Amino acid sequence: MTIQHPPAPRGFSRRGFLQLGGGAALVAAAGPALTACSGGGDDITFMYWGSAYEQTAIKDMLGKYNEEKSNEVPVNGQYTPVGDYETKISSLVAANTPPDIGYLGVGQMYDLAGKDQLLNLYDYVDAYPELTDRLPSSYFWYGPDKLAANQLAMGMQILYFNTDSFEAAGLERPPFEATSAWSWDEFVEAAIALTLDDEGRNPSESGFDASNVAQFGTIAPFGGGGLNALLASNGAGYVSEDGLQYTLDSAEAITVLQNIQDLVYEHRVAPSPAQLGKNAPTTSVQLQTQRVAMIVDGNWAMLDLLESEVPFGVAVLPQYQVPLTATGGAAGAIFAATEHPEEAVELYLYYNDPENVDLFQNGLWAPLQEKYYTDEAEIAKWVGDDFPEHFREVAIDTTLNHGVTNWDQQTKNSDSLWQKITPAMESLQTGDATAEEVAQGLREEIEPLLEGTWPVQEL
Amino acid sequence: MTATVDARPRTPSSPPTRGRSKAGRIEGRWGVMMALPAIIGFVAFTLAPMIASLFISLTDWTIGAAPQFVGVENYVRMFSADSSFFSSLWATVYYTLGAVPLSIIVAFVVALLLNANVRGQSVFRVIYYIPAIVPIVANSMLWIWLFNPDFGLLNSALARVGLPGSDWIFAEETAVPSLILMATWGFGNIAVIFLAGLQGVPRHLYEAISVDGGGAWSKFRHITLPMMTPVIFYSVVTGVIGALQVFVQAAVMTEGGPNDATLFFVYYLYRTAFTNNEMGYASALAWILFLIIMAITVLLFRNSNKWVYYEAGTGR
Repeated sequence: MTIQHPPAPRGFSRRGFLQLGGGAALVAAAGPALTACSGGGDDITFMYWGSAYEQTAIKDMLGKYNEEKSNEVPVNGQYTPVGDYETKISSLVAANTPPDIGYLGVGQMYDLAGKDQLLNLYDYVDAYPELTDRLPSSYFWYGPDKLAANQLAMGMQILYFNTDSFEAAGLERPPFEATSAWSWDEFVEAAIALTLDDEGRNPSESGFDASNVAQFGTIAPFGGGGLNALLASNGAGYVSEDGLQYTLDSAEAITVLQNIQDLVYEHRVAPSPAQLGKNAPTTSVQLQTQRVAMIVDGNWAMLDLLESEVPFGVAVLPQYQVPLTATGGAAGAIFAATEHPEEAVELYLYYNDPENVDLFQNGLWAPLQEKYYTDEAEIAKWVGDDFPEHFREVAIDTTLNHGVTNWDQQTKNSDSLWQKITPAMESLQTGDATAEEVAQGLREEIEPLLEGTWPVQEL
Repeated sequence: MTATVDARPRTPSSPPTRGRSKAGRIEGRWGVMMALPAIIGFVAFTLAPMIASLFISLTDWTIGAAPQFVGVENYVRMFSADSSFFSSLWATVYYTLGAVPLSIIVAFVVALLLNANVRGQSVFRVIYYIPAIVPIVANSMLWIWLFNPDFGLLNSALARVGLPGSDWIFAEETAVPSLILMATWGFGNIAVIFLAGLQGVPRHLYEAISVDGGGAWSKFRHITLPMMTPVIFYSVVTGVIGALQVFVQAAVMTEGGPNDATLFFVYYLYRTAFTNNEMGYASALAWILFLIIMAITVLLFRNSNKWVYYEAGTGR
């Protein structure tokens, strides 16, 4: 066998070498973008987050949609865990390859809308009049005649409880009608009775071992819709109605915050952040394992509760001055870069309709259209047979008659505000600061960030 | 740039460029060809993004909007109007000052023990090295459990010997020290390097001390320690560079909390870029960190000839 030497390559000059390197770098850098663009127009990408059950439910919904509209552009679901979701959307937008349609956190939605990254739905209202029949609070306007999105679905806060825990404690179930809602003290009393250490003692008994609690009465709502509702119930809030004044240091707000901290450190009926642990289990798991007996959470938690067959009931939230629930929800938006705007709007309307999808009957979503809250026949279309007793009073009646929209649905710059509020709330949770210290300390951080509220427009 | 890179006339009779043989030239070209993938990789994925980020740091580019040139405004904002900048810098420095010395001391001590002639030496070496090969995210999940104040191993062990437990990563004061403790657990990497260094110390030097009547301490103080200074120096430099870029623990274990206690610089940078979408400002933060790391590294090198001993005697 003879060895054939390869022909000697032509020598590189330094410039040639750099050109070659630069060219290769350009190809390497542009490659992913080019390939992404080339395949971008053949289908519609729907991006979403959620629990494992939610993932299955959305996948089924999209599968059904593709079957029903078999001659049109196919829709691809793209699941992303909620913790990475915002980052992934940012990266996709930065790379000019956003999805066509998807879930969006409210702060990010307004940010993208302001940069013309989202489709202005107002332009489609004439062609698709169904866009106009939703509850007014579910629209996200970002300027005159500029409609960025709708809520994905309606969300409301509910007091969930494990019925077995109540039976074992010999307690009457919590009230389901807003007018007879528990006062805060009644709520605390029930939570004390439901909190049990390893020996079965509750915090009112001597020898209660707070470091070995088998069942907590509740989880302290240090944030989210639960806290929004309690604040509103006491006539308080993070910011004034016009979004220009900081109000969390009012006496009413401090009372609520201090009461919530007291659940952990004074009444010992709720786990501290350390006891709750990192990557804490979901509401359904906490209730199923009877680690916790009552939890304030959104109606979407019903999906997991129903799927995992937890013995649970629903009740209205405890009240201060007025009974109410906080409503709101993430946005469902269409990206302006989509090559199929009409098809995307059709999918948008499709998944919002309880007649088409079972995401409502399986407990994940509540409808956006008013008729599903007022008309008996329409209510029957989305309230599933396996829903807990009194769901109607707790969720539907309370939302319609006593619903208050979450403050951050309409407040400008909410993401920046949350970045200041969250760490401060953590020192409330860890017990490092009192409610008064936290609320007063936040004032100078929040005030410069207040920019008012987004406009509201009739349709 | 002018086009005079290689303007010399080439004739068949002129001597080979740079005086190399034909075979040498061919070899050189092939060398470049073989190195090209790495060079392209460096240019495309390190150098070009660095240059791009330098330009981006001079703009107020937020994702989804067109970048606008703002000069050094981002850098001014950092030092004048951003409290998170200083608090994240402090958290990072605190972590570095704890994690680097502690890891080096523990690694050194363990390496000394491993270097002793004991039975099952290789088994011990493997055991101590294992933590270094556990992926950092898996490591973090493990430590979340260890740190759990209720049912974690650490508090259970403390309770067993009658000591009070701690809230570890769940309390403001103990969060960073907890992460330092966790970082120290990964000392195996440095220990192996120390071990290699220890085995390179000439035996005759120890014998000389013995002859002079010196004990174990003298051997350590006058032979081992000076001979190990290059390894210590290497560990300090790489350790500081690594610790200043600590990220995963904050992202996986604490999300920067509680109350921003573990908002490390790179995590803050990441949040600025991908949660706040402020690419311009995030790039400026990245450049400041780069400059800080570079300055510290230069200082360490400048300072090294005062305490690092090289056997060859050339300083460095």
